[in-house]
Formats: sequence, structure tokens, C-alpha cells
Amino acid sequence: MFFNSLSFAVFLPIVFLLYWFVFNKAKSAQNAILIVASYYFYSCWDWRFLFLLVFSTFLDYYTGIRIEKAKTETARKFWFWLSIIMNLGFLGIFKYYNFFAASFSELLNGFGLQTSPLLLDVILPVGISFYTFHGLSYVIDIYLKRIKAEYNFVDYSLFVSYFPLLVAGPIERATHLLPQVKVKRTFDFEKAKEGVYQIIWGLVKKVVIADTCATYANAIFDNYTSMNSLSLLLGAFYFAFQIYGDFSGYSDMALGMSKLFGLDLLRNFNYPYFSRDIAEFWRRWHISLSSWFRDYVYIPLGGSKGSKLKQVRNVFVIFLLSGFWHGANWTFIAWGFINALYFLPLLLRDKNRSNIETVQLQWDFSSLRVLGSMFVTFALCCLAWVFFRAKSIDAAFDYIKRIFTNRNFQAQYLENERYNYEIIVLILAFILVEWNSRNQIEPISGRYSGLKVALCIMAILALGTYSDYKEFIYFQF
Amino acid sequence: MKNFLRLTSQISVTIFLLLVVLDFFYTTVYLHSSKRGKIEEVFNSKSQRLDVVFLGSSRANNHFVAPMFADKGLKTFNFGMSGGHLFEASLLLQLMIERKYIIRNVIVEADLNLSYEGRADGVAAKFLPYIHQSETIKNHFSGESDFFACYYVPFYRYIAYETKIGFREAFFTAIHKEGVGFKNLGYYPLGVNPKANMKNDIRNLKPVRNKHYENIKRLCKENKINLIAIMTPMCSNTKGLDYFQKVNTIYPEIHNYEDVVQGDQYFSSCGHLNDSGARLFTKIILKDFFKK
Repeated sequence: MFFNSLSFAVFLPIVFLLYWFVFNKAKSAQNAILIVASYYFYSCWDWRFLFLLVFSTFLDYYTGIRIEKAKTETARKFWFWLSIIMNLGFLGIFKYYNFFAASFSELLNGFGLQTSPLLLDVILPVGISFYTFHGLSYVIDIYLKRIKAEYNFVDYSLFVSYFPLLVAGPIERATHLLPQVKVKRTFDFEKAKEGVYQIIWGLVKKVVIADTCATYANAIFDNYTSMNSLSLLLGAFYFAFQIYGDFSGYSDMALGMSKLFGLDLLRNFNYPYFSRDIAEFWRRWHISLSSWFRDYVYIPLGGSKGSKLKQVRNVFVIFLLSGFWHGANWTFIAWGFINALYFLPLLLRDKNRSNIETVQLQWDFSSLRVLGSMFVTFALCCLAWVFFRAKSIDAAFDYIKRIFTNRNFQAQYLENERYNYEIIVLILAFILVEWNSRNQIEPISGRYSGLKVALCIMAILALGTYSDYKEFIYFQF
Repeated sequence: MKNFLRLTSQISVTIFLLLVVLDFFYTTVYLHSSKRGKIEEVFNSKSQRLDVVFLGSSRANNHFVAPMFADKGLKTFNFGMSGGHLFEASLLLQLMIERKYIIRNVIVEADLNLSYEGRADGVAAKFLPYIHQSETIKNHFSGESDFFACYYVPFYRYIAYETKIGFREAFFTAIHKEGVGFKNLGYYPLGVNPKANMKNDIRNLKPVRNKHYENIKRLCKENKINLIAIMTPMCSNTKGLDYFQKVNTIYPEIHNYEDVVQGDQYFSSCGHLNDSGARLFTKIILKDFFKK
């Protein structure tokens, strides 16, 4: 059940009506209906993995309490490491085992030892990376005595399994979401209105931008050996907007629908393609994951403290982990590595926190420099996205090599029965809208919101891509 | 909550109104279409006289060189449609007759497409803009699983088949951008393809008594049109070539020309002749059926 499917369009209003009109008397009833809805939502993907979700929830709930109640440091450590090992163990088995087994076998084959790896025939449970990280942050926070353990199982389950964030985030923190589910929610019209606008804008990003770009990006990446330089450049450009529209569109919808239930989720995107350097990009892209790694890996490793060598090590660790979090493939690791390389010059010159405030432009020379730096940052991102999208590292290098060696910049007719340049105007219009609304959550609120809603709906109906249906990219992670 | 229900009602009404307005706008554009696609052309045309009309899939579109018929003084048009089935061919002929076309001969490619009675979504979608304007189209689609949505839900058909009749196609139709199907009197020549896979396996295909072919036969009989049904060539490296004999056991009247063009140099792919192959094939058809 995707957020942009008809079945979800039926599911959401039913849950909304039950939540506010039937189960609205007490916080426990509100949480109960959201839990039932979330488990139903998750079982629509594959009901068998519901057991995994419930077990993972119970594991962190129980170990959290045991850590808090432990009388000795050894017991505290035992329960903490049990939770960490179990959580990472599940993730390892379902997501990474085959990758490690195949890579290890390839390594041995490289040394002349012929082996065939024992691979598991398992499918990746949807959202496992997200709910595992929810649980991990909760247990770590209890262990570090930042928060108290949650004793109400329903409340804790809702924190882990809340359907808007269950399958593709944002990765919530117990410090942020748990206090909200502990109190009875009252209906707030302004918040709900904002939520509806965010859902509509998320849909525009998904079906108009991401899915349309996907048809072009796929046609180019899947046939890149027969593409000229222009098509290859456009392929990277289209994929950049595909993944942005897809993931930020999903996040917008998640945040928006959560507002309908009176709950605020962490913001996940903040106009990342208007970043002036890579450090700023990472403060604006998939914010909940970046901040997770910052708080639970980077800072414990020493963060930006200590010698430069140590700082460089820490940066590489979190970028490589971040890449690996996305999937068990060397392409994702390469993508993380490239981003670490981009980050390095900023770190070495202590410039990684120079662009904090939202970008402003005036009619002067310095604004040109700002535009230039945004363009360079975006181009670097596109280059890195090639690794994210390519089937293998070799294919990614070959793709990039062909951009520079082919030198043919003529229009090309693609497999999707379109010319390679056809959606540029649509993307430019999208960039313009995003630029104008970069100081707000979504572009619909404010003046003429009624007209803007109508225009967005018209875009969804008339310009959306439906027949060549695309899943949300981040569901696979 | 009242305010919120008002807001969602307003949005729902906006969605409905937009669906109606967009549906009206797109349909109007397609009703004024000319030289964009063969289906639109026929739907928006008036009576005309044609000596020879070709119908079928790409194996008609790429195989019958209509200009060679024209050179013989025959008024011809190749209405073969790539990816199409007999579902669409029979509907197109029905529309021509409805528009009082006077047709002397229909040459229909009836071979591999006899094994399937369903529609080809990509081609059939092009009839859908006119579903409210034509009883014939409505009736033809009435047995389809998505008929209710396509007929009663405004704009649904333009969303469901957006790659064929969505915004892009409506835009090109509105600016009267000519489609590629009108050059060479509807015939679309294929080039030589050195990378083509010159083998095919059609053992799974089973010819059936096809209701759309039967419909074409009935229409031709009722309107005194000479129907010539033809099986067109395949490359020699095809497994299951006895399919063509099986067709003849069901429909003996269909002329088997499957093996009249020999040699891979005449094929663009195993099921499609290139331009030289098509010319060779058309010459044979002309000799056999249009001697004068």
C-alpha cells in the first residue's frame, strides 16, 4: 500500500475518521487505533514480517526497561549489548548477509580458492533499516541516561510502528516523538491544513517530478552504452530530481499525514539542492539519518574534536556507514566514499559549518558567487548519484567516462519514446517554485493557497506519471 | 473540525471539477485532431473512396508498401498499427464504414494476431478519447474490465493511459504536430538492422476462431468489400512454423504468404521485413491480387 495508491486514499480517511470521531476520548484509545492501523498497513506489504516488527519492538521495549532497572553496570551493559547485537543481527541477516557472503567468496576466488557462497533466499523486510534505527536510538539514549525507559508497551509500539514513518522514515527519536504520543491529541485545524498542503505537495514531487524523471533516467541509465554525452549528463540530472522528488515527496506526505493525527515528525529535507557546499547539502538531505549518524556514531567517535587525522577518520566512517545503510552494494559504499571526499577539503579548511543560514540573493557580484557554488555543489551531487544509480562501480565509471569522451551533444530519442530534453522545462519550473518557497515547509501555504492547491491538483492529474508505475526508492532500504 | 471538513470538501469538489474540465479540454483537443495518428484521423474524417485499405499490426504497417499500390493507380492507405491487435483493426474498419468510406478491398494481416482476442492497450487507448462521442467505440469497449472507470469516471482514461493519450500527446495534438504514420501512405519502412535477433519461437501460439476477425469478415460481407486475408512472412529460423498451417485449418480463406520472402537480408527482425523485403513481398501481392 503506497502513499500514492488508491487503496491508501481509502485507508487514510478511514483511520482519520476513526481516530477523531470514535477513538478520540483518551490517549490510550488514540494510540491503540494508530497501532492497529499501522500493523494493518505493514501487513499489506507482507504479513509475515509483522512478527519481525513486533519482536523487534518488544526486544527494545524490554531491554530498555532492563537497562534502566539494572542494578549493576555489568547488567546494564549486558542488556544494552544484547539489544544492539540483536538489532544489528536482524539487519545483518536480512540486508547484508548475502552481500558479505558473496564479497567474501569473490575475495577468496581472487586468491585462487574456488568457493561458492552459501546465500540466503530471503527478501528484505520493508522498512527494516528505519525501524531498527528507531529502536537503536531509543536503547542507546536509555543507556546513556538521556531518556527514561517507556513502560507503556502500546505507546512504545506506536513510536516504532507509526505508519506514516514505518517504511521510509523519517527516523524518529524517542526524545521527539514519545512525549507526543504520551498525551491526548486535540484537533488543530491549522496543523491539519498544513498537513493536507504538505501531502499535496509531496504528491506533486512524487508523481509529477520523481516518476516522470524516472522514465527518462531509467531509459538513459539502462542503455547508457548507446547514449551520447548530452543524454548521459541529462540522465544524472534527471536521476538527481527523481531521487529527490521520490524521497522528499514521501517524507512530505509522511509529515503531512502525521499532522492530521496531531503528531509532528522530524523534518527530513530542507531544499538540499540549494546548498552552497557539501556540508550544507548533508545538513539538508535526509536530515533524520544524517543527524542519527552524527549523534550516535560521529560524536561518540570524537566528532570534530581531536587531531585532524582523527576528524578525517570520523568523517569517512560516517559517510561510508551512511552509504552502506542504503543497501548492500559496493555502489552505495562508493557513493558514501565520494561524499566523504567532497567533504574533506571543507573539513581540512574548517569551512564545514560556514553556510548555516538559508541562502539569500541580491543583485550583486557576491550573489553570482553563491549561485556558482550552488551549481558546483549540485553538479558534484549529480556525479555521486551516478554511483548510487549505476548497477556496478565499473558501470558508474564507464558512465562518467562516456560523458567526457563521447562529446556528442545532439538530441537523442530514448527508449521511453521521448526526446532526452523533453522534461527540462518541467524541472526548471519545479526548481523555481522550490526556490520561492525555500523559507517555508511547502509552497502552498500563504497567499492564494486555494489557487495553488488547484494548480497542484491539476499538475498531479495532468502531468503525473501513472501507467509506468514506480515504487518509492527508499522502500528498498 | 468543521473547518477541516469544509477544507477537505472544497478540495474534493476542486478535484472533481478539475477532472471534468480536463476531460472536456482533452476530448475537445482530440476531436480536432488531424494527421496525428491513424485512429484520430479516421474518427475525425468524412466519407472517402479507397481502393485498398490495409489493416493489422506492425506486420501490416511495415509489410504492405502502399505507394506501390498507388503507382498502379489504386487509392490506398495502410492503416496497420504497430503493436495493434485485431481488436483495434476491426473497430477501425467499423468506424470507417460508419463514416461512409467506400472501400473496394480490405487487405487484413491475419496470422499471429489470430491467437489473441484481447486488446493492445497502447493502441486501443487512442480510441478512448471518443468513448462518449461514439456508440460504436463504447460498445466495442463495453466488455473490457476497465470500461466502467473509462466511461463514467471523468479523465480516468487520460490518467490510466497517460503515455498514449495524456498531456504530451494532447499537447502535440493541440499544436497539430504531424505524426510519423502519415508518410508513405501509412506504410512505415524498416531499415536493415545488423544486430537483429533473427530467430523466433512461436510454438506457444495457438490460433483461435477470433471474434474480431469474424467481425471484419462480417463487415466486409455486409458492405460488399472484397476481403483479402493474408499471413505475412517470418524469418526462416522460426520454431513452430506449423502455426500457419493450423491457421488454415480454422480459416482456409486466409492466404499463406509466410514463406514467400526468403533470406535474412530481407528482414529487419524475425517477424518484420525491411524495406527491400516489404517491396518484394508487396510485388508478389500486387501480382497475385491486382494483376490489372
